Amino acid sequence: MKTEQYIDNLIRREKQMEPNPFLSTRVMATIEKSQQQEVRKVPVWQAVVLAASIAAVAFLGVTIGNSYVDNASPEMVMNINDSQIENLGYYNFADYE
Amino acid sequence: MSDEQLIHEILSGDNSAFKALMEKYQLQVFRTVVGFVHSKEDAEDVTQDIFVKVYQSFTSFKGESEFSTWLYRITVNMSINFINRNRKNRLLQSLEDIFHKPSGEKTPMEHLEDSERDHRIRKAIDSLPEKQRMAFILSKYEELPQKTIASVMNTSEGAVEQLLQRAKNNLQKKLTT
Repeated sequence: MKTEQYIDNLIRREKQMEPNPFLSTRVMATIEKSQQQEVRKVPVWQAVVLAASIAAVAFLGVTIGNSYVDNASPEMVMNINDSQIENLGYYNFADYE
Repeated sequence: MSDEQLIHEILSGDNSAFKALMEKYQLQVFRTVVGFVHSKEDAEDVTQDIFVKVYQSFTSFKGESEFSTWLYRITVNMSINFINRNRKNRLLQSLEDIFHKPSGEKTPMEHLEDSERDHRIRKAIDSLPEKQRMAFILSKYEELPQKTIASVMNTSEGAVEQLLQRAKNNLQKKLTT
């Protein structure tokens, strides 16, 4: 057999291959799936707005935190001396007898 | 329904029209892809990708050429991209084809010889320069007239004729040495 005939023979056999009968269904399913994914996909502007909101809240928190000024007078201090808060001497009868 | 009507329906959102269009052209696309990839499974995958791409690109179809010409262009480009991406896998596939084909009436030796010859022919087709291979596959697998091949490849009929002649000579050279 000549080379050309061998080539034609191979091409004829390959041309006899048939695609899966459900190929079109498979393609339609892929297209529908990609369309659903597109619908579900969050638009870019929404993601940007969300990121900007989070950044604004964080900035606001830091600003409010920094704006706090400690106005407490030096006399006003917490008294942690228990014996002054409740002078146990009052209950010492010996002092009042 | 004509291609233009189907395309009009598809653009107005009718998916069943796309299915009809696909069923009309899927065999042609599949056969062309087989010419490039030589495997049923790969050809089915590439055909699927082609139709998904066609669906997504409908808005870019201006109607300047026939739909079938546009479709063949996408088919050829995506088949070549697939081959370039999967060179290593294709080598393994061709080796598998030689050693794992079911034996028929022929003796194992004859079968091995046939497989080896098929492998050499496929390799020779695959090693043709890109334009020669495109013209050869569209001509031999799809039996497209030179005029159609010329419009798919955006070239003249004379150039297609030359490409086909060179492809034929190259194949003869590669397979006789």
